[in-house]
Amino acid sequence: MKKAKKFDSVAFTFIAPAFILFTLFVIVPTIASVYYSFTSWDGISSDIKFIGFANYREIFTSARFGNALKNTAILTVFISVFENAIALGLALIVDNVRWGKNFFRSAFYIPVLISGIVSGFIWKIMYNYNFGTLNAMLQGVGLGDFKQDWLGNAALTLPMIGVVLIWKGAGYYMIIYLASLQGVPVELIEAAEIDGASAWQRFKAITVPLISGAFTINFTLSLIKGLKVFDEINVMTDGGPGFTSETLVYLLYKVGFNEGRQGFGTAVGIMLLFIIVILNAIQQKFLKSREVQL
Amino acid sequence: MNKKIIAALLAGAMVIGTLAGCGNTDAGNTDVGNNAADSQSTQQDASNATTDTNTTDAGTADAAGTNDAAGDSIVSAPTELTFIFADGDEGAKASMNEIVNRFNEQYPDITVTIEPGNGGAYSELIKTKDSVGEFPDVLEMRDTAMYVRAGKLEPLPDDIVGLFKTTTDFDGKVYTAPLAGENTNGIIYNKTYFDENGLTEPATYDEFIELCQTIKDKGDMAPLVVGGQDIWHMGFWFHKAYNDQVLSQDPDFIEHCYDGSKDFSDETFKKTFEELQTIMQYAQDGWSSTPDAQITTFMVNDMAAMMYSGTHMFSQIAEAAPDMEIGWFPIPSPDGKLRLVGGGGVGGLAISAEAAQDPDKKAAAEAFIKFFYAPENYKVYCEKLNAIPATVDEPEMDVAPVLQEVIDATSAADELAPMWNGRSGNNELPPDFRNFTYKTLVEVLQGTRDIDSACDELNKTWQVGMETFNPLTGLGAE
Repeated sequence: MKKAKKFDSVAFTFIAPAFILFTLFVIVPTIASVYYSFTSWDGISSDIKFIGFANYREIFTSARFGNALKNTAILTVFISVFENAIALGLALIVDNVRWGKNFFRSAFYIPVLISGIVSGFIWKIMYNYNFGTLNAMLQGVGLGDFKQDWLGNAALTLPMIGVVLIWKGAGYYMIIYLASLQGVPVELIEAAEIDGASAWQRFKAITVPLISGAFTINFTLSLIKGLKVFDEINVMTDGGPGFTSETLVYLLYKVGFNEGRQGFGTAVGIMLLFIIVILNAIQQKFLKSREVQL
Repeated sequence: MNKKIIAALLAGAMVIGTLAGCGNTDAGNTDVGNNAADSQSTQQDASNATTDTNTTDAGTADAAGTNDAAGDSIVSAPTELTFIFADGDEGAKASMNEIVNRFNEQYPDITVTIEPGNGGAYSELIKTKDSVGEFPDVLEMRDTAMYVRAGKLEPLPDDIVGLFKTTTDFDGKVYTAPLAGENTNGIIYNKTYFDENGLTEPATYDEFIELCQTIKDKGDMAPLVVGGQDIWHMGFWFHKAYNDQVLSQDPDFIEHCYDGSKDFSDETFKKTFEELQTIMQYAQDGWSSTPDAQITTFMVNDMAAMMYSGTHMFSQIAEAAPDMEIGWFPIPSPDGKLRLVGGGGVGGLAISAEAAQDPDKKAAAEAFIKFFYAPENYKVYCEKLNAIPATVDEPEMDVAPVLQEVIDATSAADELAPMWNGRSGNNELPPDFRNFTYKTLVEVLQGTRDIDSACDELNKTWQVGMETFNPLTGLGAE
């Protein structure tokens, strides 16, 4: 019979630095933030007043939180759908291209390497109503009537931020789809082809089920990305015009760090954590059930 | 082995000799060093100069401690003062250094030493200095209310307060000597375009609206360029309308919102939004996504005829288009009165309460502030920064005619007050209520929110803000 293993001090010594740092900088602040969410702390003063559920009551009654939740939902759905559709399309193109496969793979991946702040600045300049590339191009091809205030028009702001996120992120998801596509057995495709299945039937009945693991990963990643997008909004719109592009994370930042309401900001953060956990659980359940193992 | 020992001894002798040489040079050439320091004008050199003076003072303490330029010393022993200001602006750096050098020269028993002000992140620097126990003796103070509440500042004596046209008091005590009049906003316009089209400066609010309509009808450029993406730029416009509609009726509107006798559904507040809706129809297309940094581009490229901003824009326009002729006029209120942003604001030079516990430091700090605002010294600061003098005894300045117009207008204005968010005491706003208001304003101006709904939102946010800040009860203000 094997004796129960004693405390391994050597092993603990090796993990101790990481364990201590992780506990200090992640676990402790996370637990502390639950406490702060029940206070009216301004983030600076030593006077931390406990106010019970007042912050959470405000969250459920505040129009600003509702607006931020709506904006977050729109942005998340927009990028989850279009980013994955475009990434899958790019992966299929790159997977089937006869020459220059590596070139296209690199070209589509390059935007991923640019930081959110930098890409935000680049697109902000391109979207500019009076001096931007986009409107100049429309004017140049005789479509001046279609010029838009891309970031100033309340109806367009969120989709335009979504375009930047997709442009920057699609290459990353493409790589995951591509890896999965290359794992689809050629003999299955050929067998279906011999049986007379069309390209669409082969894709729907063979490729999609076999790459559903990649769908699960990518949809989960884009869901989390949509829920916590910050850089581009900060650079391009600062949550505006008005509150048009203020998302939950941006609201958290604004109230917590700009408005001196750390307690309320932390409560928004806790709510966001619950939303991410719940949505992720639903999505995992839905997508996992469709995965096929060879 | 012996060679190594000899080499080590020789090397040691060289180091000692070099150090001794340095010391001798300093001691023997104090005057030369002093003269050289006096002649420097750049910031870096000037910083060195103050350090040099410091060394010299230590050596001549006995002589200088009993006599200053006037004959009697104001301090009982050689005194050193640390001084910090927001040095992000080159003009501020140069002028402050020059004035400090002049002071150190005139008061040999007092040494003012400038410490770096960390450019843009000035407020954070002061907080850090405070937290590590290095709060400066004299400083440019911006977050005055916070530091007054924390007991960090010393009240200024009446003979300093009396130097200024306006000051801000906290319970009857003034803690800051305003560095300049608040940045007065007005219309900066393309003078050539006005002259070519026979347009003239409006004398009333209605004439201003007519002028905008005339330019809009001509269709060759936008009447106004607005940098609406930066919400603080929207603050210029908001304050103009708020001043016209709300402050003109009730200067203590914010205090009355705190005590509950008024709220943001007040008719005067609604009229603020209405006035801005009228004006903003003359802004350029895409105003809400135009940053403030781009409005000069519109002006110098004949894309807009006018902008509404502060005097800091004069130099920006001159740099972008040196040949461009610009004019300036204030926009009168609809009731015919001229209400301008101006006078001393809540910020300015302040003395540390801790430093003031030392009688010598207190006397030296007060002498420095008085020296700074003497017309011949203050002129240096105002000219470098295109600043409007805040003192009663204004310096004779060599300024551009357009700035002189602004100075004249502030002298002739019916009312001169700081921005609505720059007020103190019972009219101080809760944290960030200003930004919330500006964002709500943008929604109203874009038509995504109506005025009633905007007022409701402001009322809700105000109630939330009052839970943590209310100067009437002292909540968050003590």
